[in-house]
Amino acid sequence: MNALRAELLKAVTTRLLLWFGLGLLAFLLLVLSIHIGSHDLLSLSQRSTQRSTLAFGGLAAIVAVLIGSLLVTAEYAHGTINQSLLAVPVREKLLTAKLAAAVLVVFAIAVLADAATLLIAEVWYHGRGVNLHLGSDTLAPFLGAVGGSMIAAGIGVGVGALLRRQTGAIIAILLWLLIGEGVISAAGDSARFAPGHALGAVVAAHEVGARDMLGVWAAVVVGLLYAAIFCTAGFLVVLNSDAPTSGD
Amino acid sequence: MIEVEHLTKRFRHATAVDDLSFSVPRGRITGFLGPNGAGKTTTLRVLLGLALPTSGHATLAGRRYRELAAPLRTVGAVLEASNYHPARSGRSHLRVLAAAAGIPQARVDQVLAEVELSGAAKRKVGGYSLGMRQRLSVAAALLGEPELLVLDEPANGLDPEGIRWLRNFLRSFAGRGGTVFVSSHVLGEMSQLADEVVIIHRGKLVAHQSVAELTLQATGATRVRSPRAEDLLARLRAGGIDAEPTEAGTLAVHAPPERVGDLAAEAGIPLHELVAEKGSLEEAFLELTAEPQP
Repeated sequence: MNALRAELLKAVTTRLLLWFGLGLLAFLLLVLSIHIGSHDLLSLSQRSTQRSTLAFGGLAAIVAVLIGSLLVTAEYAHGTINQSLLAVPVREKLLTAKLAAAVLVVFAIAVLADAATLLIAEVWYHGRGVNLHLGSDTLAPFLGAVGGSMIAAGIGVGVGALLRRQTGAIIAILLWLLIGEGVISAAGDSARFAPGHALGAVVAAHEVGARDMLGVWAAVVVGLLYAAIFCTAGFLVVLNSDAPTSGD
Repeated sequence: MIEVEHLTKRFRHATAVDDLSFSVPRGRITGFLGPNGAGKTTTLRVLLGLALPTSGHATLAGRRYRELAAPLRTVGAVLEASNYHPARSGRSHLRVLAAAAGIPQARVDQVLAEVELSGAAKRKVGGYSLGMRQRLSVAAALLGEPELLVLDEPANGLDPEGIRWLRNFLRSFAGRGGTVFVSSHVLGEMSQLADEVVIIHRGKLVAHQSVAELTLQATGATRVRSPRAEDLLARLRAGGIDAEPTEAGTLAVHAPPERVGDLAAEAGIPLHELVAEKGSLEEAFLELTAEPQP
């Protein structure tokens, strides 16, 4: 518990979360405004459109994977991993605490993203004179956004431990999400098993899958498998390598 | 208190520490000396569990660092002064460490006062001078009130006032029964501070003795003054003795005064002064770590 408390304290004693939170809110405001503003009134009143609107909170999953990686790589970038290992020398314990802290932090950010999505959507729908139906079918993506973000944080921690270089990890994650997932879509039906597609399916939270998207529970299992694989590989690298130094 | 046994650390193309063995006794200040690249930092990092040994092991109070039940309460370490997140305040940095080690948060303000950093506690570390960062490192080391301090070049970046503060602090710590193991390349400072020294060169142990014993063994220069200094210089060099003029009529000779006196007598050169100068830790260090002449 001490190690987890320290990791949470690390997360809130820099402005990393503040900037990510503000950035996410601004991005949500932008994309929701474009999305709702570009639909006609008939389309906006349909349940499927409302559900896809409320799924925008799932953008938190992208922030989650970045935060997960940064909680590890920032320690290497600033050399604070040395102090952390002096306080918690059992490396698997330190990394487990980081994983737990990332999941908790991202849970809070995803809930915030869901709340912001609901607020922005309500304001836009009200302004356009359309009722926003809030029921289990339209609100399912809210739970999906939280679950998807928590899994994404686990993947992020694993990638961060595996690469340990801050810039390298961010570039690798963004390249994969922006280009890799697009390229893999050309592979056909199997693309739905790619990490980004699986997380997208968790956020969409459809009970039954489709040709290009897994059902929510299958997606959760695939996402957790990716998190387990990346974390295992990353933890093994950290356990078997020296902490960085600029000394002699 | 510290045991290093047959420790070897190899990197891809180099051996930083080579079958190194020594021990550091409890309740003393032990200096850890060596030229740049000798393997001091690597040895300390293996000792503190930050680097993995290729073979051999290093223990503190009989255990490897990662096996210590309460590491920060057993060992306080001062490493590079750059190991800080620049956007975190000095106080927040210590709060994180205290939380990780289960140390009460009240202790944070105590150690900040102890290293005279209370006034800058809420400032971001990115705005600290090197000296302030070193003090923060010392504060972090003191958080758990450990009985052993391991310090890597703690005087780096400190001004003369800071160095004096550090010297007094370490003496006071050792005076209360604490053990100090400190690496440094400031030999003058170490000769004033340490009870004994471990000297390594190219990753190997070259000496482990008390400072008094070591300086006694060091070859002190012999100062000799003569109205025929130039003749004496030529005669000494012809005899294979290293000597150089220091001021008018005076030579510094790297040989015992008896040999210089005998040689001058044989050559009939009068001497007005013949003084054996005391060896220093610096001379001992340079002799022990001298590269062989090609």
